[in-house]
Amino acid sequence: MSEEQATHTYETATGRIEEIIRRLDSGDAGLRETLELLREGRALVEFCAAELDAVGQGLDELRLDELVARLEAGSR
Amino acid sequence: MWRNDFEKLGLPALEDGARVVVAGGPDYYPGSRTSSPHFSFAVTGLRLAGEGDLLAQLELLRKRLDAEGLFAPQKALHRPALPRTIGVVTGEGGKARDDVLAGLSRRGWGGRLVWAFAPVQDRHAAPAITRALQDLAACGEVDVIVVARGGGSLADLLCFCDETLCRTVALLPVPVIASVGHHTDRTLLDDVAAVSCSTPTHAAESAVPAHCGEAREALELAARRLEHHGRRAVLDRARVLARLSRAPAQHVARHRTALHQSLRELRAAGRRGLSARQALAGTHATVLSRKGTAAAAEAKRAATLERLRMALDAHDPERTLERGYVLVEDAAGGLVTSARAARDAGAVRLRFADAAVDATISEEPQP
Repeated sequence: MSEEQATHTYETATGRIEEIIRRLDSGDAGLRETLELLREGRALVEFCAAELDAVGQGLDELRLDELVARLEAGSR
Repeated sequence: MWRNDFEKLGLPALEDGARVVVAGGPDYYPGSRTSSPHFSFAVTGLRLAGEGDLLAQLELLRKRLDAEGLFAPQKALHRPALPRTIGVVTGEGGKARDDVLAGLSRRGWGGRLVWAFAPVQDRHAAPAITRALQDLAACGEVDVIVVARGGGSLADLLCFCDETLCRTVALLPVPVIASVGHHTDRTLLDDVAAVSCSTPTHAAESAVPAHCGEAREALELAARRLEHHGRRAVLDRARVLARLSRAPAQHVARHRTALHQSLRELRAAGRRGLSARQALAGTHATVLSRKGTAAAAEAKRAATLERLRMALDAHDPERTLERGYVLVEDAAGGLVTSARAARDAGAVRLRFADAAVDATISEEPQP
């Protein structure tokens, strides 16, 4: 994940994607800006897709003590 | 109880038959000249008994927490549209558990769900719920916590009005969504929580504001639009460049066509001019030809005239004289053409070719 994406949440990313599309739809962006926006937009789409994938793999149910145990095992 | 003491308590007006718990002590009045002595119970404190008492206490606590600003912090927390991990505090065997799962399923959400089971009524409930909330928040992985319980009496739900629990929730760094009791019930937890929902299903849906299926479709649409713009950004500009690169060639081609056209017109004009000149030359030739015919006629006429002149010359009297003939003229210059006339004239003039000679006729005129 790039630094730019690290600062994003799913909401800010989708909001930024909408902004980018609005800007591209306007037709006012030059070639260089368009390519920059496309690069940023694609990265954000990938980020959002990863976020959706993270909650689309099927419900992972566990009890609090199991989560604590997992976290402790992971930190060792 | 004195009225001013009662008003200091801030209680609502008491209805007839209200059950109250009072505090106070005995008071004795020794009496006077106009009134008898009497013994009374002086009330210094008063509160409603039973459910009314509980509600009044809760109302006081609610006002106190509100005054401390503890209803606001949770509401200011950011709630992610797509939480990865959701913590749920509920009773292990309660129906609320199924309702939460149904709500999450309706959102199409399939992330990590951490159950923190705790008793949801009795005197042990509030500390257990408080501890569960603290533990979930302490994990650092939980994005939002749902506290769910089905409906119940005020006494059953009283644990969710626990002051410690409410203060803990208010200061928790993770947003808490409360769904306790039915929509008619209102616990203090509902007030301090980030969101208060009427049912556990609704609470689960509030925990995942974005519908995962719809979000995925929207994302696919956004990705397609981006790709479309990407293609257009290149292709449109490539078309413009191609058009620009073709422009000089087209310009040259246009000029070439124009030059060819001009050339054709020049050739046609040349052909037309030649034809005109040929026609003119033909006319001139015809005229010249006619003029030639006229000259021949002139020569012929000249020959005829020469012939005529020669014929005339042949008949000229001067030429006859040159051949030896003589013209005989009388004195008046008239021609004497007979011997008789000569005799009559007596004197005549003989005209030779070179000169004239006077002569006298010797014979007498004859009668």
